[in-house]
Amino acid sequence: MLSQAVVKRLKEIVGEKNVVTDKVGLLTYGYDGTLLSGEALGVVSPTTTEQVVEIVKLMNEQDIKLVPRGAGTNESGGTIPSEKSVVISFTKMTKIHEIDTENFVAVVEPGVINFDLQVELAKKNFYFPPDPSSFKASTIGGNLGECSGGPKCFKYGVTRDYMLGLEVVLPNGKVIQTGGRNFQSEPGYDLTRIIVGSEGILGLVTKVFVRILPIPRAKKTMLALYDKVEDASQTVADIVAAGIIPTTLELMDNLLINTTEDFTHAGLPRDAGAVLIIEVDGYPEDMDGQVKTIGEIASKIAKEFKVAQTAVEVDQIWTSRRSAFGSVARVRPSYGVNDITVPRSNFPKAIGGVLKVAKDFGVTIGVVAHAGDGNLHPLILFDQRNKEETETVHAAEQALCMMALDLEGTISGEHGIGLVKKKYLDKEFTPAAMEAFRKIKRSFDPSNRFNPGKIIDL
Amino acid sequence: MGVLADVYEMLNTCNKCGGCHTACKTYKLTGSEEMSTRGRIQLIKAVADGKLEPNEEYEDAIMSCLLCGECAVTCPNGVHGNELVMAARRDLKLRKGIKPFAKSFALKTLASPKRLGMGFRLFGGMGKSVLNKIDGLDYFRGIDIKNFPTAKKPFLEQVPEKIKVQNPKHKVGFYVGCFLNHSLDQTAHSVVKVLTKNDCEVIIPKDQVCCGLPQYCYGDYETAKTNARKTIDTFLDKYSDAEVVLTACASCGSMLRHDYLKLFADEPSYLPKVKLFCDKVVEFSEYMAKIGVDQSKLHNSSPLTVTYHDPCHMVRGLKATKQPRELLQMIPRVDYKEMFEANRCCGAAGLIQAFYHEVSTDITDQKTQNIKDTNADLVATSCPACMLRLQGGINKAGQKQKVMHVADVMANAYED
Ligand SMILES: Cc1cc2nc3c(=O)[nH]c(=O)nc-3n(C[C@H](O)[C@H](O)[C@H](O)COP(=O)(O)OP(=O)(O)OC[C@H]3O[C@@H](n4cnc5c(N)ncnc54)[C@H](O)[C@@H]3O)c2cc1C
Ligand code: SF4
Ligand code: SF4
Repeated sequence: MLSQAVVKRLKEIVGEKNVVTDKVGLLTYGYDGTLLSGEALGVVSPTTTEQVVEIVKLMNEQDIKLVPRGAGTNESGGTIPSEKSVVISFTKMTKIHEIDTENFVAVVEPGVINFDLQVELAKKNFYFPPDPSSFKASTIGGNLGECSGGPKCFKYGVTRDYMLGLEVVLPNGKVIQTGGRNFQSEPGYDLTRIIVGSEGILGLVTKVFVRILPIPRAKKTMLALYDKVEDASQTVADIVAAGIIPTTLELMDNLLINTTEDFTHAGLPRDAGAVLIIEVDGYPEDMDGQVKTIGEIASKIAKEFKVAQTAVEVDQIWTSRRSAFGSVARVRPSYGVNDITVPRSNFPKAIGGVLKVAKDFGVTIGVVAHAGDGNLHPLILFDQRNKEETETVHAAEQALCMMALDLEGTISGEHGIGLVKKKYLDKEFTPAAMEAFRKIKRSFDPSNRFNPGKIIDL
Repeated sequence: MGVLADVYEMLNTCNKCGGCHTACKTYKLTGSEEMSTRGRIQLIKAVADGKLEPNEEYEDAIMSCLLCGECAVTCPNGVHGNELVMAARRDLKLRKGIKPFAKSFALKTLASPKRLGMGFRLFGGMGKSVLNKIDGLDYFRGIDIKNFPTAKKPFLEQVPEKIKVQNPKHKVGFYVGCFLNHSLDQTAHSVVKVLTKNDCEVIIPKDQVCCGLPQYCYGDYETAKTNARKTIDTFLDKYSDAEVVLTACASCGSMLRHDYLKLFADEPSYLPKVKLFCDKVVEFSEYMAKIGVDQSKLHNSSPLTVTYHDPCHMVRGLKATKQPRELLQMIPRVDYKEMFEANRCCGAAGLIQAFYHEVSTDITDQKTQNIKDTNADLVATSCPACMLRLQGGINKAGQKQKVMHVADVMANAYED
């Protein structure tokens, strides 16, 4: 419990209604997109950088840890409250300070929801390329905390590639600005890139300078349908080998086709083994050529290849893809998301590996993948209430991680490490590299105050 | 835990993906997780699991839900947040009765026709004059008191039970509903006018009561059932010659057509009669579109820009979105403009506007802005509660648009 005096001070800093200490409130800030949960001592929602500084100072005095939180949609336990901690929620810092279309920069607060930013940008014919499937809920602060990716990342890169500068409150309560609105990197260390993807363990981001782009003049969305998911993975390798870079190259297997169809009724064939969603963008005159080449490559293996004709059709396809994670509880109530990534050329092997794990462990796995990036999300479906089954699922997850590492891949492409993947990190990195991680954490946060226990133990 | 046990699988199907955050206006405008669909569901689950004892904060989370149903259409897992909230309200009611506010005036008043009339007049008349004396208090918790209309006499007392036409093609039973009876009686007259102009004989039973929706929404199924039974028996037994039961209130319509079935699910002997009744229920625009309106009889001399607001119970309850738009566009010289987020809640949401006025005021402000952006002269809609809420919001923002029921807009287009 927080003492009366601390609660009073917090209320003085952020206002009465931005402090939560009752059981109901704490419960709702205790979970994220994973199956984990915890309980904080309190939740505080600042609305300005100054308030964040005051909170950090007060918590330092009281020796209480801080757990930063955006929308709480992360898939790695990154916002689960640790012992003796207060959650600092950024959902009330939602101002878009500026959209500068001349210099391709937008300046936003961390609680701005990705989708809300896209809506404002679209009015000026611009967009922000990182588009995690959770973009209607997730915040820019959370996106950069996890260095999120999305369907467009094959061509355009991940969140990291669109962060020009940050305002950060450090664990000692000091405010620094990294980078800025300029495209060329600043002198000195690239602190922006150290903070991006650091999952809230190094600093609290209070302002973000993001890079924005004009909306491409034209785009085409295609669907390729396959009998087997292995076949689809071959097209992915072939497209990459041909040196073509579509905007997106997304894969869903039969299980996901069916769960998303239940929700969207987009008309994807329920008997298909897999579907590839392929999108290209650019100048109108380039579209036909690209579609033709991709069609030729895909048709070698696909049982059907088609180009979406209407905007409504395109919308439906994307609603399906974006609801993939969300829709699997139709089959079983619990799911474990994996986030393994392999070099693109190894993608077919990784698909083979996933099928083998499913068979070896006797578990149900649905596969959705940002295939162009070699990033796979095998979703293991189960019922958390069944202890034995849950154990098997954990073992299967470990096997998936090992398989990815064997293929020169990584255990996490875009969801971060948090608590869930922490135990596998030293399988991927050498002891010396792990020590380098710890040293960086200690140099920012010697007393381990921000999001303790996430990514690495000190 | 009975009620919650019945919905437990649905509670457990929510995998906390957050997909509903964007749907839930009470979350979007507060940024508070306990005011989100996901938060509400996790709290209800905690109660079901015995991990949380319902307390005041829990009740706030449950009672502040707009029941707009947007989360249900947004959830990829098919979880219906609004239904889970309804179950939680029922559970609360069974545990210890309804939260004092609801018990004290609104629900009891609605259950009794006499008191209801008084309530409306009190609020609109005396209450208004008292509050008007307080400087600057034009808006009691976001509700536009100064302009809150009250019928001088209930509509049901103004009209005969049967309104005949020369060459009747249809016989329509008119379920008036509380708002049209006590507050917006002009709209009820518009409904009758449009029906009679289209050769419908109108039957208006005098002894009709509140449909029971407000009580149902707050978990008082017993009172809701009493009212529902009375409504069903009145229309089916005493006025069986009415081909349809028509309502001009989307909320009543959704209750009469869908929720009655759920309400009586545990009474198999009565259920067939309920089904018979539900099949007869039709909303005004649905009905006019179905029987067809003779466009040549519609007149309008000056250009009019019109936009339409979809009431929650119209778009997600009755699933009727095309008909009102089509009817409006049949009127000569009407320039129809669609507004942004036309199908999102206006903030009225039953008693929410009074008891969680901070959020509902923000929701209405957004709606008002969306209306302004269309440059419309007139906002049409299909629910009296929305009409009052929207007009209040528009007046408060100093805007000029007039809010009318689709029936009013149409009635104006007929020469007397
Ligand atoms: C249905 C679904 C689909 C998803 N699809 C994708 C996808 O396609 N690609 C993808 O990459 N991810 C995806 N995710 C994972 C998740 O949505 C992303 O990681 C997202 O960026 C998290 O944003 P958030 O606002 O929810 O952050 P949170 O979950 O609240 O936080 C994420 C991390 O950032 C930290 N953090 C948050 N705000 C700040 C701040 N202001 N300062 C410092 N640290 C902060 C937190 O401490 C935490 O470690 C998906 C999740 C779901 C449920
Ligand atoms: S209700 Fe549906 S959309 Fe909302 S968090 Fe639960 S599963 Fe996701
Ligand atoms: S019914 Fe509306 S207000 Fe209630 S939880 Fe669902 S979206 Fe939110």
